[in-house]
Amino acid sequence: MEQVEYFEVECTEETGGAYYRRIADVVLLDHNLIRVIKKLHISIDPGVPIFIAVGVTRKLPGVVRLRDFAEVNATGQKIIISIGDETHLAPLLQILWERYGKESVEQPDRFTIVLSAEGQESGDIEDLPVFDPTESIYKDLIYALMVIQPEGFKVRRQWYGKEKFYLVASEDTLPENIEDLVREKFALMGERL
Amino acid sequence: MNLVPVTYKGGIYRHDEIIDLIDDLGGYIIQKHVLAQEVVLQALVPKEDIGLIAAIAKPLTGEITPSPLVGTEIAVVTMSLEIHHLPHASCDVAEYIRRFGAKTNMVGLARGFGKRIAQMNDEERDVINEHDLAVYLLGDFETCIQQKFPVLRRGIEIPMVVCGGPSRETLQRIIDPPVDGYVGNVGRFMHRTKESEELTKLDEVVEEITRVLDRKREEIAKDPPSVSPARLMDVINEQVDEIHEVFSPTPITVQMTGLRVKLPYDTFARVLRDIPIEEGVTIGEIADIVPSRMRDYILIRIRPFSETNIMV
Repeated sequence: MEQVEYFEVECTEETGGAYYRRIADVVLLDHNLIRVIKKLHISIDPGVPIFIAVGVTRKLPGVVRLRDFAEVNATGQKIIISIGDETHLAPLLQILWERYGKESVEQPDRFTIVLSAEGQESGDIEDLPVFDPTESIYKDLIYALMVIQPEGFKVRRQWYGKEKFYLVASEDTLPENIEDLVREKFALMGERL
Repeated sequence: MNLVPVTYKGGIYRHDEIIDLIDDLGGYIIQKHVLAQEVVLQALVPKEDIGLIAAIAKPLTGEITPSPLVGTEIAVVTMSLEIHHLPHASCDVAEYIRRFGAKTNMVGLARGFGKRIAQMNDEERDVINEHDLAVYLLGDFETCIQQKFPVLRRGIEIPMVVCGGPSRETLQRIIDPPVDGYVGNVGRFMHRTKESEELTKLDEVVEEITRVLDRKREEIAKDPPSVSPARLMDVINEQVDEIHEVFSPTPITVQMTGLRVKLPYDTFARVLRDIPIEEGVTIGEIADIVPSRMRDYILIRIRPFSETNIMV
């Protein structure tokens, strides 16, 4: 966890806290999320019981657009898309089918898509957003926190966005002032929610 | 004749000679594994003949080692077997105990997690009670263990060994009334045990189990079962042909004072009851044959000598 700027596990029981520090370390490493996290504060009180994890992510990669992995050529009434990297081909096809209909999208070979779209500028298509990595990273992050949390904590609240995230879990109903508790934990890291 | 539990490891070549030898000496093969070119036998053999077996096995490059847990069936009780929390510590513990000859069964409780919400149903309780010993693998927090353990031990009549994250002393302090064995610093962790200190911890679990089972053996020796479970296994193997068609790794599981026979109860209970062990003595006379809560298996509980006045 050296790459993480701030990593603290706060627990009312010393031994339990040390175990959860190790568990968080192992889980984040296994899920390949260490490089994503900038700050992480975990607070556990088995007496209440409550588990709060708050954190800040590093700057995440931006939206992948069509021009990032393909070349677009407009010839007459047809637009030919030559794919350079297949990674995002499946979501691209989904988007094109939805926008132009399956009858207008042809794929003569693996790396070429021919689009019969009249009056379309190739420039518009080049800017087409295909994949947003932040969404899946935050989802993975929340899943990892769910793995870390004590096993019986089935009542959860989670939130992510603006490079920040939190997950609160308990086996009882969550207290009403939960957002205040989360803000307190963010303040410990020198951040504001 | 004092039979001791051992494991024999050797090549497949001429291993039948070892099997015949153990048989001739009056010992019993509890389990036989064939793994490619290797054979692992778990057996009960006469104590004074271990040297002889070792001498005969030497040219076959086989070796014989003591395995204190052969002939026991142990329940590894874990609070959850949820897929999201894999790998569970209980997987490693169950696997490690198996290396010492025990037959372990994992009992993943349906609602064992949580402090307030933890509970155990009657099926889980009965399944655990069918074993010789239960190893409970609890979590990392003493507050939780203190609150939930009384619920999880309710109705359990067999010896219990408790493993948990807090130290051994803490476990002894918070568990009341006391259980038979404690192992501290084995709580919830999310990785496979590979480091030497973690393996030492698993050895500690095995030591504690062995200590508790030795004490149970001493108790049993004061009023021994009317027939040795291993001998009863041999009798069933000889007289019930259908047992050879069961694909389970141990069609008959040997316990300290009984057997689990993996045949359907409705069809075979009567058959087993009428099997003669020696002239005039049938299994039904010296043992209770009851349905197991595990699938439709049969559980044979051998009655002690003091009840039957028969020793075969």
